[in-house]
Amino acid sequence: MSAPKSSYFTTASFISGNLFEIRHAISQHFNLEENNQALQKENITLRKSSSLFLYNKTGVETKVNDSIYAQQYDYIPGTILNATTTKRNNFFTLDIGGIHGIKRGMGVFSSNGVVGIIHNVSDHFSVVKSVLTKNINIDVLISEVGVSGMLKWDGTNANIGSISGVSNDIAVPKGSKVITRGGSGIFPRGIDVGTIKKTETIEGEASWHIDVTFSQKYAALENVYVVKNLFLDEFKQIQNQ
Amino acid sequence: MSQIQIYFFRLLLFVFLQSFIFNQLEINATIHVMITPLYIFLLPFDRSVNSLMFISLLIGVTVDATSNTFGLHTSSLLVFAYLRPVIFRVFSPRDGYDALKTPSIFDMGNRWFISTFSILLIGHHLWFFTLEAFSFNETLLILQKTLFSSFISFVVCVILQTIFIKRTA
Repeated sequence: MSAPKSSYFTTASFISGNLFEIRHAISQHFNLEENNQALQKENITLRKSSSLFLYNKTGVETKVNDSIYAQQYDYIPGTILNATTTKRNNFFTLDIGGIHGIKRGMGVFSSNGVVGIIHNVSDHFSVVKSVLTKNINIDVLISEVGVSGMLKWDGTNANIGSISGVSNDIAVPKGSKVITRGGSGIFPRGIDVGTIKKTETIEGEASWHIDVTFSQKYAALENVYVVKNLFLDEFKQIQNQ
Repeated sequence: MSQIQIYFFRLLLFVFLQSFIFNQLEINATIHVMITPLYIFLLPFDRSVNSLMFISLLIGVTVDATSNTFGLHTSSLLVFAYLRPVIFRVFSPRDGYDALKTPSIFDMGNRWFISTFSILLIGHHLWFFTLEAFSFNETLLILQKTLFSSFISFVVCVILQTIFIKRTA
C-alpha cells in the first residue's frame, strides 16, 4: 500500500516519524505510572464483564467467532509518539500506519475516552486529528437525557470542550455523562467523552451552549486504540441508497 | 569557519530548536514561541527578497513537516521575509547600512533592533494565528495569542542572540 502524497509534509512522513520515535523513546517514561493505572483499570473491567474479550492469541487484533454476537469492530492498539495540546489545531502522531490496516477516517479512543479521527496515513505512522481541533464535529449523546449534539473545541482549554446543536427546551442536568453516539460508523456507541460542566443560553438562538469536561487528560495520553468498523461499507451503502 | 558555514549550521540549529524544543513547550493556549523569524532577520543586509523568501520556504516546510501545521509556518515566514526589506528601508540609518555589519542587536543597537524586529515579529505572529484560527469569531483570542506569544518570542530571540551570535566588530 502506498501512502498518499500529503503525508510527506506531516509527522507521518518517514523522517519526522522516525525522529519523533526517538524522542518518544525518552519521553515515554514521564507518564508511565498514570498510563499503566488507566490500562490496568480497563483490564479489570474487561475481564469482569464480557465473553467477547477472550484471551488474545494473535497478539494484535481481536476477532471472536460467535453465532449470537457478530463482531462489528476491530481494535488496533497504538502508541502516541508526539502530541500537542495547546495549539489551535492539535494533531497526535501514532506509531502504527498503513501496514497495520489504518485508513483515513477511522476513529481513535483511549481507555478513558474519545481521542480523535485518523487524518493522514503513511506506511508506518499515522496522524490523528484530535478532539482538540477546530472542526472535529464528533456526534455525541448526552446519555441521561437521550439527546445528541456535535462535539466542538474552542481552542483555549485542553480539558474542556463544548456541544452544539442541543435544543434549549430540553433540560440538561449538570454532571450528565456524554458518550459517543455511533451515528456515522466511526466510533462504536458508548465510548466516554466526558461530563457536562455547565449549560448556558445563547442569545437569539434556540440551543444551549454546553461545556463538557473531557474524561481523558490529553496531555498525558499514551496508549490508544484505532477503531476498524467491519460493517462500514455496508453502512455507507445503505445510507447512500 | 566561513560565513556560509556559520549560516548553514545556524539554520540547522534554529530548525532543530523550533521543531523539538519550542513547538513542544506547552505553557498555555496563548503562548507559542517561534524563533525561526530570527534566522531570516539575521541574514546579511544585502540579501535580495527572492533569496530571503527561498530560505523562508525551506525552513517553513521543514518546521511544518515536524509540527503538523500544514503550511502555517511557511506562509508566515514568507510574509516575514517579504516585509523585511520594506521595514529595513523605513528604519535605515542616514548613511545607509554598513555592508560589514549584520542585523543583530549588538551591531545595530538596541533601539534599531527593538523597533524593526518587534514590528516584523508581530506581523509574523498575527499572520500565523489569523490563518491558524481562520475565523473572525476568534478575533479576541487571535489578538491575545499575538500579544503574549510575540512578547515571549521577542525575549527568547534576544536571549538566543546573546548565546549564539558573535559580535562582528
